[in-house]
Amino acid sequence: MTDFLQLTVAGLSQGSVYALLAVGLIATYTVRHVVNIAQGDYATLAGLGSISLVTAGLPLPVAILIALVTVTLASVLIERLVISRVKNLTTLVSIILTLGVSTLLQAIMLLIWGAEAKRLPAFPGSDLTLGGVSIRSQELWMLGALVVVGGGILLFYEKTRWGKALRASAEQPVAARIVGISPAIASMLAFAIAGFAGAAAGVVSSPIYLSIWSGGLLLGLKGFVAAVLGGLVSFRAAIVGALLLGIIESYVAGYVASGWKDAVAFFILIIVLIIRPAGLVLRPNAVRV
Amino acid sequence: MSYLNKAAMRSKTGFWPNNRGTILGIAAFAVVIAIVPFTASSSMMNIAVFSMIFALPAIGLSLLMGLAGQVSLGQAAFFAIGAYTHAILLQKFEMPGPVAAVGGVVAAMLAALLVGLPMLRLRGHYLALATLGLGFIVMIAVREWEFTGRTTGIYGYGRPEVFGIPIDNNGLFFWFVAPFVLIGLVLALNLTRSRAGRALSAVNDSELAAESLGVNTYALRVKVFTLSAGFAGLGGVFYAYQVQIVSPQVAEFHVSVELLLMVVIGGLGSVWGAVAGAFIVELLSEGLRDLIPAIIPGATGEVQLIGYGLVLILVIILLPGGLYQVVKTAWAAITRRRADAAAKPSPAETADGGSGDVPTRAFGGLPGEPPAGASLDEATDAAASAPRIPTVSTPVAAGEPILVVSGLTKRYGGVVAVDGVNLTVPAGQIMGLIGPNGAGKTTCFNMITGAIAPTSGTVRFLGEEIQGRKPHVGAEAGLTRTFQNLQVFSSTDVVGNVYMGRYRKGRAGILRGMFGLQGREQYAHEEIARDILDSMRLGDVAGLAAGDLPFGRQRMMEVCRALAAEPALLLLDEPMAGLSGSERELLAQLLRALRDAGLTIVLVEHDVAQVMALADSVAVLDDGVLIAHGDPESVRNDPAVIVAYLGTDAEEAEAELKELEEHA
Amino acid sequence: MHRAQRRLLVPAAVAASIALALTGCGASNFGGDSGGDAAAEDGPIKIGAVLDITGVGANLGVPEQNTLNMLAEQLNADGGIDGREVELIIKDNQSTEDGAAKATTQLIENDDVDLIIGSSRTGPSLAMRPLVEAAQVPTISVAANAAIVDGSEWVFKTAQNDLVVLERILDDAESKGYTKIALVRDATGFGEGIADIITELGEERGITLTATESFEPSATDFTAQMTNIRAADADAVIIWGITPSAGLAQAAYVQLGVDKPIYQSHGVANDAFFEAAGPAADGVIAPMGRLLVADELSDDDPQKPVIDEFIADYTESFGTSPSSFAGHAYDAWLVGTKALEAAGTEPEALRDAIESTTDLVGISGIFTMTPENHSGLTADALIMALAEGGRWTLYEE
Repeated sequence: MTDFLQLTVAGLSQGSVYALLAVGLIATYTVRHVVNIAQGDYATLAGLGSISLVTAGLPLPVAILIALVTVTLASVLIERLVISRVKNLTTLVSIILTLGVSTLLQAIMLLIWGAEAKRLPAFPGSDLTLGGVSIRSQELWMLGALVVVGGGILLFYEKTRWGKALRASAEQPVAARIVGISPAIASMLAFAIAGFAGAAAGVVSSPIYLSIWSGGLLLGLKGFVAAVLGGLVSFRAAIVGALLLGIIESYVAGYVASGWKDAVAFFILIIVLIIRPAGLVLRPNAVRV
Repeated sequence: MSYLNKAAMRSKTGFWPNNRGTILGIAAFAVVIAIVPFTASSSMMNIAVFSMIFALPAIGLSLLMGLAGQVSLGQAAFFAIGAYTHAILLQKFEMPGPVAAVGGVVAAMLAALLVGLPMLRLRGHYLALATLGLGFIVMIAVREWEFTGRTTGIYGYGRPEVFGIPIDNNGLFFWFVAPFVLIGLVLALNLTRSRAGRALSAVNDSELAAESLGVNTYALRVKVFTLSAGFAGLGGVFYAYQVQIVSPQVAEFHVSVELLLMVVIGGLGSVWGAVAGAFIVELLSEGLRDLIPAIIPGATGEVQLIGYGLVLILVIILLPGGLYQVVKTAWAAITRRRADAAAKPSPAETADGGSGDVPTRAFGGLPGEPPAGASLDEATDAAASAPRIPTVSTPVAAGEPILVVSGLTKRYGGVVAVDGVNLTVPAGQIMGLIGPNGAGKTTCFNMITGAIAPTSGTVRFLGEEIQGRKPHVGAEAGLTRTFQNLQVFSSTDVVGNVYMGRYRKGRAGILRGMFGLQGREQYAHEEIARDILDSMRLGDVAGLAAGDLPFGRQRMMEVCRALAAEPALLLLDEPMAGLSGSERELLAQLLRALRDAGLTIVLVEHDVAQVMALADSVAVLDDGVLIAHGDPESVRNDPAVIVAYLGTDAEEAEAELKELEEHA
Repeated sequence: MHRAQRRLLVPAAVAASIALALTGCGASNFGGDSGGDAAAEDGPIKIGAVLDITGVGANLGVPEQNTLNMLAEQLNADGGIDGREVELIIKDNQSTEDGAAKATTQLIENDDVDLIIGSSRTGPSLAMRPLVEAAQVPTISVAANAAIVDGSEWVFKTAQNDLVVLERILDDAESKGYTKIALVRDATGFGEGIADIITELGEERGITLTATESFEPSATDFTAQMTNIRAADADAVIIWGITPSAGLAQAAYVQLGVDKPIYQSHGVANDAFFEAAGPAADGVIAPMGRLLVADELSDDDPQKPVIDEFIADYTESFGTSPSSFAGHAYDAWLVGTKALEAAGTEPEALRDAIESTTDLVGISGIFTMTPENHSGLTADALIMALAEGGRWTLYEE
């Protein structure tokens, strides 16, 4: 039982990272219909960036703040310089394009930070043991980040006029414009949210999972799997899906074989897509004429 | 007689690509292959060898992306399956090289078939990311499985031998692999111009139109996916031979990205481009690995990725057509200059060239020349003779029901678009379906043809229930349609469009297509397509890019395309819209003649007068409900129709109706 | 005809330009002159190296690269071998098996090297083996697993065998009365077969292996493995891997509150282990060469002068002290260049010379090779070290 709970804790904290990435993916998908393959790279970028700032002598909170802001701006910049440059953004084009962005970001990180994994110092707090289950304080920070950042984004979308308009802008650009959001602004805002959520995931997880230039792809993909569980539109379902994914991965690693852990997400993805593709598509009844 | 010389150079493809150019290109390629090992430096030789190896999966991916329109981010998975199977058969089962190689290719294809069957039902992002996931699964599986040698992989199986000569150096290996690339290239080129290839590129232009002509998109995609994996598997076989170890890295995502990059650089769908792309990416990779550390001291590892990322982004933004587009544009510029310089003895004389467009038959053309020459005047001049009637099929006797619709209903959320429509269409007559805007005519039409699935109700065509099935099911049985919003296959010319109508009458599959064994069949269907165009006075524009035709003639072309299928039931969605007076007359004349020949026709039409004049019976839809059905005269006088159709006040409506008819 | 000519012209031009683009110095692409001919005798002696310079093995490969560069420079400054300059060609295998195979093929085909050193880890070394055996190029691996040299004709290695390392660990465990051992091992070639060896060696010592977990060298999260190890019925645990992963595993082990005594392998014989494990490293016992505890060696230790000189040179050149892996590279270079001095570059003579290495004092031990023994070290080459306060110290058993 202790082991089971231990694995659950590990799964939840890992899942909180996936959840933040899933939130970012949904933000851009609902507005631009782009599955941003570079989403996970935002996390790595923020992780490595804050590590450099801490190494340079900045206090941890300042370093994290700067990293969050920088990555958010970088995401907006990517939207302006790359995504919005293409007029006819078909699925094929958007995938190749964001794959290009992801590859470029990874290469830049490799050149700046080198090939080694790096670790951000743990956030303040002491580890605790509850009934034999050891919980690292960083794991609480990770869950906390999900509650604050993920919850904040959720509230923004559900409670504010801008948020609602943003959600609507994919389907009804007119409705969005009434509130004063042009499609261009909506798209930038979505990318800003995606950048922020990704960056938050990156800094908060770096003390445990470390940051390495190539790590973003797999993280982002798992975020995508979680987002698919949420139908690519529902933030809440995606967050639940992400936590579930983290837990299942953890059980597979603990009870089956640790080597298969990274395959779990893709088995789930393929099975879910094949069994219930219609339930997961935005508008299953889309008229094809 | 020769068909007129207004070919489609531009960026479009003529019906018969440039065979001579292809043959010359392949000959040139063969010469390069023969020479390179003597001239290349050893590091260049290394690049050449790997570009040949990767050209194979790149050709496969190019077919998949260009032809089948599917993005795969998991091509490395099949590459790896081919490589592993080959290595395992050699090393653990000590099979002879050729047997192991075939095993590798077959294993890759089988795997693709197995995962393709369910996955190719997915669309867009889902398919791309599912294939990406597949890549990870394969990588993890080979890494964790004892049988595949876990992290270290399979090694120690030795080098290939050909006629007792060991292939143990780069020069010989290049000659060992290059012929396969050459053959693969020819097969892939053949495929792109085969019946299946044309069908797939039609699918890319308009999936709905292609399916409505009987193309089973899903089945074709599964086949191309499998074929593409075969190419990848073959590449894997050679990779295993060259590198002498197969370890989990071959399935890594970066390999898939490299392959994707090759295809994107070469130009999506261009088979030659994939081969060129493979060489460029290998060169780029090798060059960057030397260059980047020289610029940025201390840079180690996979520094070439920076180039990959930049090139992917820049090509997509600045040059979406890749190298293929560059070559094409350059070629068009050259030929245009040449054409201008020459005194233009005849357009056909000047329009030669290697951009893949020059027909072997007698329709060349001037690049970039507007198609204005092919005007309506010629068509009306020729109108003296009545149109010849294309063959129609009459599976049931006149008067027997050919199409029976019962209880047909479509709901979108709370909105009922079509509500319980019952309709029987007897064979051998023209039925008009009319109704005000938003009455549900097109929805009805789409449910009958399979474009959308009804919420409830049945559609019986020739006794077979076809509701909710894909459009190709009805089409194969002889139900063909045209579209309110034109669905033209813009990547081919007018003959190419009408040829697609012949799809359901063709037989040749992907294999015959690849080996070029269907030329006769294709010529025959092309002849028929031309005859139909002639009969509709479109023969003069047969070689033009379909998208360049004026709107009215595009509509006529769609009708020709539908007729080419020798349908038993022809459904026309507002065929008169956008036609000139003489064209309308021609079309009405044709429809009557077709009816007399036994064809059943249903047309949705706004032009009430035309319908009344043409149709043997008329059905009226209002607000999704069938409110009247009968001969034109009784429907015209039906007060319910008048009110529903034109407004609340019956008298006013009648006046308006009259005015409309007079106007027409 | 004019048109036909033009048509031919373009593909011909394209073909010609591609052929030209592929033109280089015109080296033969149909097999290099395999050693021993006159031309090769005049030029420099070529030593190739394939190392894990980037990727998961970088903690091993980078100091090895440093060492080889330093030693090549020294050797050439001293006049090379028999007056011939030594050309060192180092290739990065990116810590991958196929990278190692590709690099090896290039060294053999393009560079026509006389001797190869590498790779840093077992997997890539295994990948190189059939290639160098087929091409008959003497090769000295700096990785550990005995499978690299088992029954080989052309491959040697300088790192201590995993077998003797495990013997030392199990001897220590036996002396402390442990009977049940749990293993957490690297999932790559380095960790493969380790469980079998423990079972086999444990039998005579009354020790059984009760649990086995594995991890990828690229892993950062070890919660699942360590949770299982925590629950396992064992008196002590062996973590078998290389840094940084073995260090991260160590950290997770302590974080999850597992309190069983722990052994690690010679794969953590560097300072990077302490960076990865942090304070969790304290108390770990690992068998390794004498290099990392050089200051504690007695003056009559025959290795001491060699080790001290190497540490001094290395520290001067690179500002950090060398790891055991740097020592493996030193030994490979030492064994290789001694044999080259004795026998020249003719492959079979060179191989025979390496096989007749006797009592050669190196960094990791004293080497004696034979045609049957391509590893050359005995259990004497190992000492037991204890991690204490961020460094390795000699462990008194």
